Amino acid sequence: MYEATLTQKDSRIDWLLLGAIAGLMLVGLAFIYSASTAIDGNSRFWIKQAIFYCGGIGLAVGICFIPYETISRFATVGYWLSIALLIWVMFFGVTVFGAKRWIDLGFFRFQPSEFAKIAMIFMQASFLSRSPEELRDPKLFMKALGLILLPFVLILKEPDLGSALVLFPIGFGIMLVAGVPMKFLWRFIGGVSLLVVLLLVDILFAPPSWQIKLEEYQRHRLLVYFGQDFAPRNASEADRQRLKQLQKDKSYNVEQALISVGSGGLTGKGWRQGTQNALGYLPRAVAHNDFIFSVIAEEKGFLGSVMVIGLYSVLIFSGIKIAYQARDRLGKLLAVGVVTMLFSHIFINIGMNIRLMPVTGIPLPLLSYGGSSVLCSLIAIGVLQNVYIYRRSH
Amino acid sequence: MGLIVFIGFSILLTGLWYVQIVSQRKYETSLKVQSFRTVRIPAARGRVLDRNGEVLADNQPRYNINLFLEDIRPQFLYEYTNSVKKEFVAKHGRTPKSTERWELERQARYRVGSNLVWQVSSAVLPQPLVLNPNPFERHYREQRAIPLSLVTDLTPQQIALFMEKASHLPGIELEVEPFRFYPHGSLAAHVLGYTRKVQNKENEDLSKEDEEVRFNYPTPVDVGVAGLESGFNEDLEGKYGAKAILVNNIGYRQSEETWIEPSPGRNLVLTLDLEIQKAAERAIAMSGPETRGAAVVLNVRNGDVLAMASAPSYDLNMFVRPNDYSKSDWDRLQDTVLTPQWNRAAQGTYHPGSTFKIVIALAAFEAGVMDLNYEVYNPGYFLIGSRKIEDNNAPKGNWAFMEAFKRSANTYFIDVGLKAGAERIIEMGDRFNLGEKTGVVQPSLESKGYFPEVGQRTKADGSRWKDGDTANLCIGQGEITVTPLQMALVTAAVANGGTLLRPRLVAQLEEQGHNSLPEVLPHQYRERELNVRAQHLEWIRKAMLDDVEDQKVGTGKAAYIPGMGISGKTGTAQIRTPKGIDHVVWFVSFAPYDDPKYAVVVTVEGHRISGGGVAAPKAKEIYKTIQKIEQDRLRNIAVH
Repeated sequence: MYEATLTQKDSRIDWLLLGAIAGLMLVGLAFIYSASTAIDGNSRFWIKQAIFYCGGIGLAVGICFIPYETISRFATVGYWLSIALLIWVMFFGVTVFGAKRWIDLGFFRFQPSEFAKIAMIFMQASFLSRSPEELRDPKLFMKALGLILLPFVLILKEPDLGSALVLFPIGFGIMLVAGVPMKFLWRFIGGVSLLVVLLLVDILFAPPSWQIKLEEYQRHRLLVYFGQDFAPRNASEADRQRLKQLQKDKSYNVEQALISVGSGGLTGKGWRQGTQNALGYLPRAVAHNDFIFSVIAEEKGFLGSVMVIGLYSVLIFSGIKIAYQARDRLGKLLAVGVVTMLFSHIFINIGMNIRLMPVTGIPLPLLSYGGSSVLCSLIAIGVLQNVYIYRRSH
Repeated sequence: MGLIVFIGFSILLTGLWYVQIVSQRKYETSLKVQSFRTVRIPAARGRVLDRNGEVLADNQPRYNINLFLEDIRPQFLYEYTNSVKKEFVAKHGRTPKSTERWELERQARYRVGSNLVWQVSSAVLPQPLVLNPNPFERHYREQRAIPLSLVTDLTPQQIALFMEKASHLPGIELEVEPFRFYPHGSLAAHVLGYTRKVQNKENEDLSKEDEEVRFNYPTPVDVGVAGLESGFNEDLEGKYGAKAILVNNIGYRQSEETWIEPSPGRNLVLTLDLEIQKAAERAIAMSGPETRGAAVVLNVRNGDVLAMASAPSYDLNMFVRPNDYSKSDWDRLQDTVLTPQWNRAAQGTYHPGSTFKIVIALAAFEAGVMDLNYEVYNPGYFLIGSRKIEDNNAPKGNWAFMEAFKRSANTYFIDVGLKAGAERIIEMGDRFNLGEKTGVVQPSLESKGYFPEVGQRTKADGSRWKDGDTANLCIGQGEITVTPLQMALVTAAVANGGTLLRPRLVAQLEEQGHNSLPEVLPHQYRERELNVRAQHLEWIRKAMLDDVEDQKVGTGKAAYIPGMGISGKTGTAQIRTPKGIDHVVWFVSFAPYDDPKYAVVVTVEGHRISGGGVAAPKAKEIYKTIQKIEQDRLRNIAVH
């Protein structure tokens, strides 16, 4: 008992967590290097990623100097600022691959939806860190729900279905731990599930005129995931052929990711020895970001996959521990929000690589190439550390 | 919360385990299927050599100009963005839609491709080539990883022009392809046979167990389709190798790796002697290039076929470079009278005519119905029943065996033949394996001729055998046809003292490139012993010697070479053709008389010709060459 108190007192920083993060960042650099230089020897993606890491670490350290209560005072401001940015992006955003998700800052394209996730965690956590009696008020629950739905709708409009859907588990995690009565939560789950099921039934089976106007590519991704034919039953032969080809093209990423992961076997082909990426089967645009896990799994095999998941486990379980040790409800809820966000990303992204999940543009925290994602992940981890550092007293 | 995370990670790990460990093989296969293209590497085909190592069938490098599409991808893109797309924008005032883009890219590719083809071909050819858009597009779509052949079979001058003017062009490379080459053209064409480039070989005989590799791109290989090229194809062709081309997601070649090295085929060493073969062909051609005939030269001691000629012949290189030959060349190949592709030496069946008197005499001696002093009166004809067989060969009078033989008196041999009886003649012919294939080449390339079976009482058409049929047989007409090769074996058996030989054409197989011992093909050269009295054979040999050496009346005197001891028998037979009666003339012979070594048989088809007048001089021509070879050999022995 004495020892435990001593270590707790001495360690202001969770070294295990930092070790896991450092490990993930090294893996990230190594495989972004492998993935991008295999195609273009002069690629500088890995250097840019290193700069993002440094920037992210800087921000995370910076956050650690300000107690999280202090930051939380600005939660409402941050939340509405992120909403404003999301609206801004709708009008003035940069369009890439048909989606308006980015704000061009010259040196780097900023993705407000990533920032919105953090802002929502703070908002939700500070909004719900009140007494359990108050939480039994349905109006309060509806307000909390509204806090999720507002950015959800805006991100969905970009369109970025993946990032939008990720807001639900985050919000749900915070509500659950905050002590929102289970009957509300069940309704919440029920409502979301019903929505998803209706959406899927509509997309997969309803006649075209009855279908929700979903972006065509989103519909295709879902059809691919559920193994449905693109062609409606009454399509002409020419249409059927065209759609069949389209279906092949659309299933392509998933197929290639599976081949990459599967052909890695137990030990993999070795760093920079993977062919799927080098030969361009794994599409170049996504190999180093959304599908970076395929590259790791192909080159380092099942052992590499286990290692990556091991590092993430350390990260996530450290986060859970921090949540338990948090000094107050606010800290706990912040930690829970961060943990659910990271975990959702990890699960959806890796699941997508092995066809457990439909393809959505959700990055793998710290490993995928991308400034917004890296900064957001590191800020989130900074928040975790913050909660850890200030777990005892001021 | 911890539990949910734990379950989540477990699900991921299980999924990964399933994909990476359980289904590894499946995904590795998919990876190979999509990223490797297997290409056949042809093995160096074995050469065909004569008994002294002279090359009869060889491989020659052929130079082709190829276009590697992966090297001109930048040009495709450049052409698209800088001209095709701009032109489209200028014309339509908008950027192309994705559906139109495909067609525009095709145009850009064709422009780049046809421009290159034009540059290359105008450098090496008198007239530039125009690239055909459809095959080009098909190649682009289906065979992007392998080069597109632009110009094939360059001459040395063209190669020089290419190196000077076109070798710097992107994607253009000079390729060397081995090609079959027959340095002596039509020489021994019927024996050698020829090859053809075949692409889908492994698809044809996929049932073969060793054909485990199925190629994405089966490079054409030479496959023997006639003669020994076909009969020994497996030995000659060796085992082809395989290489894998690693291709990227759009099908361009990334790198190559040889999986299986090809192992070269083995050389075929024949028993043929190039000089004698040349002499035989020259001899037949003495009476004109359209002479139809055959010549066979055998070593009577071991059955080695030293020459097997059939005329008219054809240039074997025709099938290798079809485009170098005119339509009349190809028409001649199909000529129904000349039948150049037909091997008259082994496939041609003819009545033996008077040459068959050798067998009749032997049968009569063995039957004891005559000896050297037995005489028969020749009134100038032979009456059999109501039929009269003319005999203008010998003057009227009494003739004994030796005189009757060298004058080829029909009366004499009909008389002794009838005395011996059809039964004994047929039995003797049977000992010489008449009516059966000799086994010198693959059965399909040989005819067995026709000879009655022992005990057969009817003719080939089923009608009753009469004495007239026996009389006909006695002068080598009627119920008998033989090939020149069969007659050579008959002659050889008489010459060597009664051993019917099994002829051979292929002596050994040797590995290419390294000096391992050649595989000598087992050859049991004794087919059978005739089991006749040596004295009887000696009488016949003596009569054959006289036939040549008696410069007054010997029918074969035109074959005489002093000191060579050439011994022979002439023959003339009628053959019915759609155009009427035609003749086939024979000269069967051996030499030297004292210690026989060579058998030479010449057969010529023609109109109003005789064995002594046409066939014997041709044999003499062949013997001249043999004499020269023998003299050279003696000189060499003397020197060493």
